[in-house]
Amino acid sequence: MSISKISSELFHKLVGLAALELTAAEGAYLLTEMNHQLSSVNALLQVPLEEGIQPTLHGIQCLGAGPRADAWQPFPTPGEILAGAPETEDGMFAVPDVKGAK
Amino acid sequence: MKDYEVVIGLETHIQLNTQTKIFCSCKADSWEAAPNTNICPVCSGMPGVLPVLNREAVHKGALLAAAMHAEINPVSHFDRKNYFYPDLPKGYQITQFDEPIGKGGYLDLHMPDGVTRRVRIHKLHLEEDAGKTKLDHGLRLVDFNRCGVPLVEMVTEPDLRSAEEASQYLTQLRQLLRWIGVSEADMERGHLRCDANVSIRERGSQVLNTKTEIKNVNSIDAVRQAIIEETKRQIELVEAGGRVVSYTLDWDADTGKLSMMRSKETEADYRYFREPDLLPVVLTEEEITRVKAELPELPLERKARFEADYGLSAYDAEILTSERGLSDYFEAAVASFGGEAKTVSNWMMNDLSRLMNDLGKTASELVLTPALLAEIIRMVEEGKITAATGKSLLRKVEESGREPAQIVEAEGLAVIADSDALREQIQSVLDGAITEVESFRAGKESLLGWFVGQVMRATGGKADPKRTREILLELLRK
Amino acid sequence: MSLNQLSALEVAARVRAGELSAREALEASLAQIHAVDGQQGSLEQKPLDPSEEQKVHAFIRLTEDLARQQADEIDRKLSAGEDPGMLAGVPVSIKDIFTLQGIETTAASRILWNFKPPYTATSVQKLIDAGALILGKVNLDEFTFGSSSESSAFKPAPNNPWDPSRVPGGSSGGSTASVAAEEVALSLGTDTGGSIRQPAAFCGVVGVKPTYGRVSRYGLMAFSSSLDCPGPIARNVSDAALMLQVIAGNDSKDSTSSVVPTSNYLDALKEGVKGLRVGLSPDYTHLFYPDFETGELAMESIQKEISDSVQHAASVLADLGAEIVENVPLPNAKYGIPTYFVVSRVEAASNLHRFDGVKYGYRTPVEVDDLQDLIRRTRAEGFGSEVKLRILMGMYLSSEGYAANYYQRALKVRAMIRRDFDCAFDPHGEHRLDVILTPTTATTSFKRNDVFGNTVRMQYSDQMTVSANHAGLPAVSVPGGLDADNLPIGIQFIGPDFREDLILRAGYAYEQATLDEAWRSVRPAVLRQEVAK
Repeated sequence: MSISKISSELFHKLVGLAALELTAAEGAYLLTEMNHQLSSVNALLQVPLEEGIQPTLHGIQCLGAGPRADAWQPFPTPGEILAGAPETEDGMFAVPDVKGAK
Repeated sequence: MKDYEVVIGLETHIQLNTQTKIFCSCKADSWEAAPNTNICPVCSGMPGVLPVLNREAVHKGALLAAAMHAEINPVSHFDRKNYFYPDLPKGYQITQFDEPIGKGGYLDLHMPDGVTRRVRIHKLHLEEDAGKTKLDHGLRLVDFNRCGVPLVEMVTEPDLRSAEEASQYLTQLRQLLRWIGVSEADMERGHLRCDANVSIRERGSQVLNTKTEIKNVNSIDAVRQAIIEETKRQIELVEAGGRVVSYTLDWDADTGKLSMMRSKETEADYRYFREPDLLPVVLTEEEITRVKAELPELPLERKARFEADYGLSAYDAEILTSERGLSDYFEAAVASFGGEAKTVSNWMMNDLSRLMNDLGKTASELVLTPALLAEIIRMVEEGKITAATGKSLLRKVEESGREPAQIVEAEGLAVIADSDALREQIQSVLDGAITEVESFRAGKESLLGWFVGQVMRATGGKADPKRTREILLELLRK
Repeated sequence: MSLNQLSALEVAARVRAGELSAREALEASLAQIHAVDGQQGSLEQKPLDPSEEQKVHAFIRLTEDLARQQADEIDRKLSAGEDPGMLAGVPVSIKDIFTLQGIETTAASRILWNFKPPYTATSVQKLIDAGALILGKVNLDEFTFGSSSESSAFKPAPNNPWDPSRVPGGSSGGSTASVAAEEVALSLGTDTGGSIRQPAAFCGVVGVKPTYGRVSRYGLMAFSSSLDCPGPIARNVSDAALMLQVIAGNDSKDSTSSVVPTSNYLDALKEGVKGLRVGLSPDYTHLFYPDFETGELAMESIQKEISDSVQHAASVLADLGAEIVENVPLPNAKYGIPTYFVVSRVEAASNLHRFDGVKYGYRTPVEVDDLQDLIRRTRAEGFGSEVKLRILMGMYLSSEGYAANYYQRALKVRAMIRRDFDCAFDPHGEHRLDVILTPTTATTSFKRNDVFGNTVRMQYSDQMTVSANHAGLPAVSVPGGLDADNLPIGIQFIGPDFREDLILRAGYAYEQATLDEAWRSVRPAVLRQEVAK
């Protein structure tokens, strides 16, 4: 059985969606590897799914403490969060404008 | 020109009035806060930190679902909606996709012309708000204070048929949100935000044509105007042989104009998947029953009951049920008064309402409690004070917080009903108005009102009006 | 025996008894690091002296000042008669994927350049509170994405102390290397598909992947949120049990953290394996490797010495009174890697969305046109190839039109993998197992650059470990011998939910029963050289 491969066109669309940029060599390598990985992933398509099997998110049935109480506990040093930013202005995170937005 | 009808669906974002954000313990409300001061590693999207769900957000979401007659989902899930935008610090929004807290539901709109329009709810789910960005000389500045504020996104089916209905929907929704206490629903502060999906079709047709989405409408009036504008534009376009294109439109409240924001032809792929950092939200049958039981009598039900049980006019009942605190006040005052509900209604519709307006207070904020109001009304009804004194007592009680009876006593405001004392006062008024007495006796009986007024002025409004009239007639006709 | 060879239990006991100061333990550890670690991992590509080839390079950053403060605080507590904690004076390294307030945390990635988190991971805080000395942050595959630690952006990447021309495994390679090289007694690692157990096997140390939810993930930079587990790395089973005792427990900052009470793991060790039912599965004797053209899975045998070690361990346990149950079917385990390719990549792509150059870390220095350009360039320059690959694969597998076939299907296969284990552990079932015994890896450590670049082959080195992650189950890798090249072999015990006590008991019984075996006296190459000097 031959398996579907990710086309170069789809690959470039994914690169855009992922907000990445690749050199030609990097792109060629990554696309080859993706298609190799896909040959492994495609084994899933041949798995005979058990009747009525429900998808699982964590494998295990998680027993958490449940939702928290609605009580205010301020983070002590919000200023440190802002201080770590590459660029700030007037107490705000600063970035170049978004193209095409108002 | 063909006969067109407009088809409208509204997408609302409702900010829940919890104390804290939905996934972290920062304050939900940052209205007064300087930018990026009400943030923590969780809501600012730092790596390695995790969301922890606020129980109260779930509770208020469920309460709203119940109020919308939606089915409360016993097991709902959170999902990630992935996209890049600087106001979304994690690069995904935690929202509910295919298993939201509420399923189905509707709101019945009672239009002023008596028509009832059932607006079905297509979607009702919990999610987190994004931050705010603003443009400043070429830079985009980002404030994360609003990130993680709990929202309910509620989307209607395209069931609305006019700009009026759309604005009526928002009015009733806002009333309901405040009534059940889940949101302050202040549109100016963004507690209630609305996008409108608008399309047109020939009347009688059942097709849904291409729609445009109007964003950034932040008052009920703006929604109405924007829909009217957009309907007009679409009709003119189609009449001229054009075709409506799926666009996002921005409403500029200052100019009253719509402008194209972007084409919606290429929908983004948000790659929704279950949020692995959160567990399913489980509401037991018992909890769901409790939420439903907690749901108060809703405005329309209460209005109908006020008309039926208290004999109020539709108009009075509507005003008195416009806000839950006001209607609770009314019922408490009626119960405390024990007499005619209509009397309480009159007091509230006129003098109390004026007082509240002057002071900028809601009913529940008044110092003048329902019991105190009832006491004042009772004193008037029993003739212990005059209506005028009663009216002036409203403000005195509100401002001093003292018992009405105490004020009456201390300021000597009780009605002068004692015949001798009153007779003396009246006699001295007549003694000072010889000309008028003569005119009266000459047949100008319409002067009686004038005499009553003079007595009232002389007694500071405390004279019992009925007794005054009797004594006046007796003395004048002598 | 030098101080650095002491177990964590021994160090803590001596410190608590006042026989050893925390400061002494610290200085001994630092001296060992200076002797064997060599140049620390760095973003700048510095030319390496050939002698560095023989070094371990476990660390990205030493936190000597912090450790000295901690040591002094412990010594102060001791003199004041206060309890200095269960790990008093024990030198510990932290995989640099956990946050420590005010200390640069890199995830071995350029994208987190100069990132100083204003918060500390819960597991790290628990170690500190128990009196551990945090010696530094150790290297790993970038964002934990790998099985050799070679994808780190911080070079040199760690070497295997048993043969520095080989990899320590990964992604917790810096952790296992630092423990094997006796630089520290304990290390905190993470295991998403085998990232604690595989490098533990490669480096001849003990590595525990606890039950999902047993140890809080707060402060662990997420790779795949539904699979990630922090866990202990130590040189023997008792030390691993001790460290697990400290870091386990519910955390209100992690919704998936469990409220199931913790056991006393150290006490459990002494209970032995008499009557314990130990399973062996035919589905853990081969790799199932895909044909790149057909997608068919072909069987490849695992290294013979490793299967022999597993058989030997089974007979040792049988001699101790355990019941060996053979032929336990775990038929869906062979889909572990394909399922992992889907689940982990989809979650990773989303988890890495937040690295955009807006809020923290690296931002491209290049003049950009607009925000989109800034984000693209920042990510292009800030992420290494393996990270980009995982993001792209995750985008593909979860995109509209593909998600139903891949992601949704993978979640069902994951449920089937889990069901196999449920059947095996079912107390009323056919096998009624207490633990399952398997190899940890199919091979011993490989040469640097031998596998790196072949991302499928690299991923398949987690074949034996990944199913426990899918099922959320606890598993431990313990040293099980050496191969002909004197490279460590790891054997794995997998247990039922929250039964870390059982897998540690089995590992401990095996360890104690084989203390006199010849291979146990062989020391890692870097330590042999040290003695020779």
